[in-house]
Amino acid sequence: MKLGGYEVKLEKKVSFTGWQAALISILAILFALLLVGFIFLQAGVNPVIGYKEIFSYGFLNAFGLPLTINRAIFLLLCAFAFIVPMRAGLWNIGMAGQLYAGALGAFAVAFAFGAKGAQHSELSPGIVIPAMIAGAAVAGMVVGAIPGLLKGRFNTNEIVVTMMINFIAFWLVAHMIKEGGPFMGSGGEGEGFKLPESIQPLLFEGIPFTIWIALGLAVLLYFVFAKTKIGYQIRAFGLNPLAARYAGISPFKISLLVFMVGGIIAGLAGYHYFATVPGVYKITKNYGDFGDLAFYGIICGLISQGNPLAAIPLALLFGGLTNGGRFVQGKLQLGFGIDYALLGVLMIILVAFQFFFRYKIVWKQIEKEKKDV
Amino acid sequence: MPTEIKRGDTVLVAKGITKRYPGLVANDHIDFEIKAGEIHAILGENGAGKTTLMKILFGLVQPDEGEIYVFGRKVHFRSPLDAIDLGIGMVHQNRKLIHAHSVIENIMLGHPNAGNILNLKRAAEEITELCDRYGYKLDLKAKVWHLSEGEKQVVEILKALYRGAKILILDEPTSALAPPETEKLLASIQIMTGDELAIVPFITHKLPIVLSVSHRVTVLRRGKVISRINTADATENSLAKEMVGREVIFRLERVADVEKGKPILQVENLSAFNDKGFLALKGVSFSAHEGEIFGIAGVSGNGQQVLAEVLAGLRKAAGGKVLIDGIDITNSTSLQRWQNGMGYIPSEQRAVGSIGDFSLVENMLMNYYFDAGFSKWGIMDSKKIRSLTEELISEYGVATPNPDVSAKSLSGGNLQKLILARVLSRKPRLLIVNLPTQGLDVGATEFVQNKLLEAKKARAGVLLISEDLDEIMSLSDRIAPIYEGEFMGIIPGKSAEREIVGALMAGLQQKAVEI
Repeated sequence: MKLGGYEVKLEKKVSFTGWQAALISILAILFALLLVGFIFLQAGVNPVIGYKEIFSYGFLNAFGLPLTINRAIFLLLCAFAFIVPMRAGLWNIGMAGQLYAGALGAFAVAFAFGAKGAQHSELSPGIVIPAMIAGAAVAGMVVGAIPGLLKGRFNTNEIVVTMMINFIAFWLVAHMIKEGGPFMGSGGEGEGFKLPESIQPLLFEGIPFTIWIALGLAVLLYFVFAKTKIGYQIRAFGLNPLAARYAGISPFKISLLVFMVGGIIAGLAGYHYFATVPGVYKITKNYGDFGDLAFYGIICGLISQGNPLAAIPLALLFGGLTNGGRFVQGKLQLGFGIDYALLGVLMIILVAFQFFFRYKIVWKQIEKEKKDV
Repeated sequence: MPTEIKRGDTVLVAKGITKRYPGLVANDHIDFEIKAGEIHAILGENGAGKTTLMKILFGLVQPDEGEIYVFGRKVHFRSPLDAIDLGIGMVHQNRKLIHAHSVIENIMLGHPNAGNILNLKRAAEEITELCDRYGYKLDLKAKVWHLSEGEKQVVEILKALYRGAKILILDEPTSALAPPETEKLLASIQIMTGDELAIVPFITHKLPIVLSVSHRVTVLRRGKVISRINTADATENSLAKEMVGREVIFRLERVADVEKGKPILQVENLSAFNDKGFLALKGVSFSAHEGEIFGIAGVSGNGQQVLAEVLAGLRKAAGGKVLIDGIDITNSTSLQRWQNGMGYIPSEQRAVGSIGDFSLVENMLMNYYFDAGFSKWGIMDSKKIRSLTEELISEYGVATPNPDVSAKSLSGGNLQKLILARVLSRKPRLLIVNLPTQGLDVGATEFVQNKLLEAKKARAGVLLISEDLDEIMSLSDRIAPIYEGEFMGIIPGKSAEREIVGALMAGLQQKAVEI
């Protein structure tokens, strides 16, 4: 391309460091915020004030911060559920279905212990809470195993299968919690039953223990991929399935394993949101919104390029922006879904900025003699 | 383009062509010229800069410096289309044809006369005329996926000629061809030179071909022109010396004095399907012994790849048995075979034999991760694998700054050395090697072949699959030509005659007598 006396050229980048990658991501975020600023202007709100409100509520406010962190834990778990298959070159688009299954699994355990309709019953948290976590994990694993099995055995497209299972799981939840369903709450408002206080986990500054599961998983997964035999096999399979087969790695085992692990982690996300977040403690009427939110886990996973540690700040940012965005919408009386608009723009810009991972723009003055060609 | 080109006219001049990539100068001020009616071979090892030069001449890559003149006019190619319009045609090593389409449709594709409505009849007449003139026999209505590699290449050549090419660039023209096909190709390009076409083949090895057909040779080494030679003054040895920069020994010492031991691999009536679901291997039986190189000679696509994959445990057998040391392993997994002394070097180094985005250390791990000594409680011993990699890199002379670079940054020869190091260091008792020197330059070829002989001396049973007759003839103790999934006989290497093996692998002769 020529601009005046200069030639603008794209050059392929040979390599980049982790810091350059982080810098590009930060620039992308700033650029996206700038663009959303125009939306604020168009709505008659000073963008500086809008952002100040979003960030101060999302990250600095005593009420807002715990909400942000709880949301970030959820997003982080979803991101891991995406990252594990992603490192094996497989696409898990089924976090929504897996987390619905996880929620159902956890509440099925509580139901079995007689938690339904017994708001003040004294259940033993030391037994029921671990059992609920196990229930969530097993249910998520089973749902995750289906696409893994089909992929490994028949090489079916895992994207299609996981997508379809999302719908099945969505309606299964509806069947369980709505009118006449076994998990229907007492209010009859299409919600699940509420957990008794005795098995609502303890909070620290408004944050449940699941934060340690999420952070622990980040470190564990990082270690597994970097140092272990199974992590090596997964990465090898992800980068070159033919070469992995040549080296004796079984495509069937890897496909099944990564989807089962992904399902377990997504199941835990379902447990986290519906059974531990203060003020929820039930499968809510709008559970589908959390299935939608789970898709932002994919974005976290993609932007972090499969690095579980890098997903932490991203999940926090996304959690804070959606939370703060929802807040300013009410406070500044904006007539649109600023939180989703913000996430949407951010997502597109982050993806577009991936371009700079591969190319750099070079300016060159055109030499006079070359012009006559 | 001038209407009349006379024999001996200079048709293309390149002056000071320079192309830099980060970390290397692929072309360093290259000057050369091509005349009408000459075959001007460009010779060089892998990484000498041939490919870059070719891409520049065809407009795929723009040079950083330098000028190109075609028919006396200075040109600046923005894309291959500019080059094609000026009469430059190119036949790629990896065929760029549409497999589901017929020959004529492929030839018409992109032709300016092919408007919205194809006049196939007129085109067919014109193309048939071209075929007759250059001695090609081709069914224009055949689908491309039915064709052999040699026929596909003819399609590419016809496509370029039909488009009006006056300068034809051929990238490794003989690499995938059977000997009789090679003969035909060479005959046809010699006819073309009579029509004042300039032919520019790029060749890595197969020096005899360069000697027999070319008029002039330009030798590249590390991006520079090392010499310009009239072929009449050259010998095989002198060309090799120019290319590699040192003397190369062509005739390998046959290691015949290794005592042939007990059979290590027994194959009984083995058959298997290929990816398309056709029976590609039809009841093959043989045994390979300790201390023996068993050569399977065949043009690719005749079932040898399928055979190698079945033996390596990567493809299911449709019938028959495979025994190692007398134990039936027909149904055991690839991993079990690796652990029990099999070693496999696949033909596709980059697609199968290595993981491009992995470091050399991680690539080394591909054949070691499952060994007990390399992990403890599932955690890899990174120090151990690293020191092994460093050791093997220096032992096998893999040219690399350090073991942390990615495998995709290695040249073909170096990557093959790395794969060889990885597999041979396991001291396999049965070694399966598929096209071990394909695309390698003279120096690397020599190295790889010597390593195979060393493995034989160490009493491994070596199964060598190759389409290079010279390689098969000089290395093998016994030779089995393979054609359409069947062995055409098993011939002792000492008494094998080149012409007979060549004819057998091309299916031109009925089965030889079993000896």
